[in-house]
Amino acid sequence: MNWTLNLVLLTFLVGTAFAMIMLKDLLAAAVVFSAYSLIMAIMWSQLRAPDLALTEAAVGAGVTTVLFVITIFRTVRKENR
Amino acid sequence: MNWSRIFQNLNYAVSLLLFLMGLYTLAMKPNLIKKIMGLNILETSVFLFIVSIGMVDSGQAPVMAHGAAQQVVVNPIPQALILTGIVVAVSTTAVSLSLCIRIHQKYGSLDACEILGREVA
Amino acid sequence: MKKLFVILALAALGVVLLWVVGKMPEMGDSRTPDKTHVVPRYIEDGVKEAGAENLITDVILNYRGYDTMGEVAVIFSALCAVIALLDREKRGVSRSAVDASQVRSSRIVRVTVRILFPVIFLFAVYLILHGENSAGGGFQGGAVIGASIIVFTLVFTLIESTRDIPLTLRVILESLSVLTFLAVGFIGVFKGVEFLTYILPGLSPGVAGALRSQVFMMSIEIAIGVAVGAIFTSIVFAMIKEENFELEPHIPEP
Repeated sequence: MNWTLNLVLLTFLVGTAFAMIMLKDLLAAAVVFSAYSLIMAIMWSQLRAPDLALTEAAVGAGVTTVLFVITIFRTVRKENR
Repeated sequence: MNWSRIFQNLNYAVSLLLFLMGLYTLAMKPNLIKKIMGLNILETSVFLFIVSIGMVDSGQAPVMAHGAAQQVVVNPIPQALILTGIVVAVSTTAVSLSLCIRIHQKYGSLDACEILGREVA
Repeated sequence: MKKLFVILALAALGVVLLWVVGKMPEMGDSRTPDKTHVVPRYIEDGVKEAGAENLITDVILNYRGYDTMGEVAVIFSALCAVIALLDREKRGVSRSAVDASQVRSSRIVRVTVRILFPVIFLFAVYLILHGENSAGGGFQGGAVIGASIIVFTLVFTLIESTRDIPLTLRVILESLSVLTFLAVGFIGVFKGVEFLTYILPGLSPGVAGALRSQVFMMSIEIAIGVAVGAIFTSIVFAMIKEENFELEPHIPEP
């Protein structure tokens, strides 16, 4: 396992998670969630789990993000506070 | 506190941090969609923790090549269980998001405090 | 006030758990208890006993077959819950907001999706069929199928997607996985071995190891892949469709 790449990926994970929590615009948060899942997929391939990387890339970055976007589109986009 | 060991086990520490962030979102954010995002962060943090436990340095992915005698591979059980977990996570997300759509149709809002008619803490 | 209390409680929890992380064995160590008890047998005999070179497929379909059957049931009940909340789409009546709006996707997006869609779908089929010998399998391939159809639906319209993949077809495909699992599991019961032991009807248990499980694992993989793809598609269709369009975006005349 590449130690430097691991450190960079972990930093990005925490950064994207923090941005997702702090963003008031839910659509932007959904897009950041997609980025979070993609970084998690790279993390899985670093941890020698190719099956998980495939599933996470398809499910996390694909299906779940689309579900979030559909829900935001049919409800409200902004978080009040 | 054994700081050198914590630094070696950086994956565990980061998944712990992500767990706390997800729990905070789940507890404090009033918006229901934000709560579901926090739940997703929480789930992925647990997945990261369990798969990191199964990691072996210099281990290969758990696919045995034809006729390879002694191949060092990582632990396959956590990966198989987490594969189950990821698919179940997306199922729960789908159900809770459809609940969000119905709640918005009925109450016109996705703010948990507003729906319950409570004062904001 | 409440916020401060929550942050303090989480910080206390974090300190305790961080102390535990400091006590845990080093990451990547191959002599920890979780890697020395059951796993060596899976790694050494898994290919012989279970019949697939991908150990994850072995664990999912053979050693932990009950778990996977439960998981398939969980996805199916998630679909049932979504349909109970939001109803199926009605053919010719339901439209998505993309269908209703007068703004079409840009030509670049449409051409890209039209070129990439068959390639993604082919990759998903490869994942399902080749899941025993390399990374991949039913759930992975099914997720990719679902994602490809969802991309198609978002760019082209829901009406077009429901014409290509009608409801009657999806109803059959969705229930395929649980039924296949049960059918294949019960073949072993009628031969006098445990539930979910994969043997062919003509063979006695334990004979012809490669043959007995490869056929069944392949059929279960295909059923899971098709069903997961159909279920994800149906969930997205149920969530994206709308019946009444009072809030239809009005595009002013140029």
